[in-house]
Amino acid sequence: MKRQRLLPRFLNLAVFIVLEIAALQMVTHNADLQRVWVARGAHVFMGKVWGASQNIRSYFSLSATNQELSEENFRLMQELEKTRERLREARVEGLDTLRRPGFSMVAAEVVKVSRNKQHNYLILNRGFEDGIQEKSGIITPNGVVGIIDAVSAHHAFAFSFQNSDISISARLGDEGGSGLLVWDGIRSNGAVLKEIPLQYRFQKGDTVYTSGHSLLFPPDIPLGIAGEAKVVNGATNEIAVRLFQDFSAIRYVSVVHNDAFDEIEQFEP
Amino acid sequence: MRNRTFWIAYLLLLVAQLVISNFFRVTPYVMLSILPVMVLCISTRINTFWTMLIAFASGLVVDLLSEGVLGLNALAIVPVAFLRNAIIQLIFGKELFARKEDFTLRSSGFAQVGLALLLAQALFLAVYIWADGAGMRPPLFNLYRFLASLGAGFVVSLFTLNVLASESGK
Repeated sequence: MKRQRLLPRFLNLAVFIVLEIAALQMVTHNADLQRVWVARGAHVFMGKVWGASQNIRSYFSLSATNQELSEENFRLMQELEKTRERLREARVEGLDTLRRPGFSMVAAEVVKVSRNKQHNYLILNRGFEDGIQEKSGIITPNGVVGIIDAVSAHHAFAFSFQNSDISISARLGDEGGSGLLVWDGIRSNGAVLKEIPLQYRFQKGDTVYTSGHSLLFPPDIPLGIAGEAKVVNGATNEIAVRLFQDFSAIRYVSVVHNDAFDEIEQFEP
Repeated sequence: MRNRTFWIAYLLLLVAQLVISNFFRVTPYVMLSILPVMVLCISTRINTFWTMLIAFASGLVVDLLSEGVLGLNALAIVPVAFLRNAIIQLIFGKELFARKEDFTLRSSGFAQVGLALLLAQALFLAVYIWADGAGMRPPLFNLYRFLASLGAGFVVSLFTLNVLASESGK
């Protein structure tokens, strides 16, 4: 019964659509304005229909797309890791400019560092299998970082310059007096140059270099800038130094070892 | 006999519509048409299918014999024919179809007949003005045209209704 009532309705709807399409055809064939308007409407409609069908197709192909994206992601991660490795090598090679005659040099990367203690340390990713020896210095283009204390096959333990037990032989200016440079124990870039004889003239802003009197470090590595000075016990000057090295951003370093270390060490009492 | 009178009146009104379409073009804001009331007054004994065909043919005659875009009146009048039964049922109730009677101004009252006329006229004008403008005319112009044409068309349709749906005519 219900079906019998539905049939004429569908028939009416079909006839209505046919008549409207026929009328629209006549309109578009006889008026340019209406032709453009209908064509534009048809394009918009088709665009929406195609867009909707594309969305549906995309939805059902999401699984395959996810798989592809996952593979692409994996490939990109591998590429990224290779690029990082190349960058790391390039940086290490860049440290080669620190090479000095009489000193062998091994590039290394800092894998662990402590900075908030009085006796700070570093751990490097190179050991004796890489040519690292105890009693070697650690430097960067910005200055001295520390001294190697113990070495394993693939890692090295070092005392950081930010360690109250470490002192470095340093020189004030190009031809100034030499003294001992120690961390001031307060600031990350603060140091004190001690035991500078009073007869040596200097000015605030003079550069402090490694003296080369130590067996550990080559000479003339710029360490920092001289600041305020004070006379200690009426015999020597004690000068505040602002270090070039930022200890919070150490990553790539050079381990330098004096080739004549053992030979010279024999003369030590 | 009553039917023959109706159809003669219908044909005469179709001629009247041709005259209106060709000679009563006073302003672009007013589009006078009595086609909606003519379709609305077709007997309820004639089903939607035939009503649509009659409406389409009437619109096409007006399009062919008057100035304007061919097919525009046909396009606008077919929806009125398609929804004619729905309009009548909505305003006059299903009893009219059950009793196989037609509405008249006297039996149904001015309010109901006027509302039916307004609905049919509005439907026709909405499609006509929308298709005639082809999206190029400003919406405000279309709105003014719609309202002005609806008012003028309503008045003319009332006179037409007197001819087609009077007690004596049917």
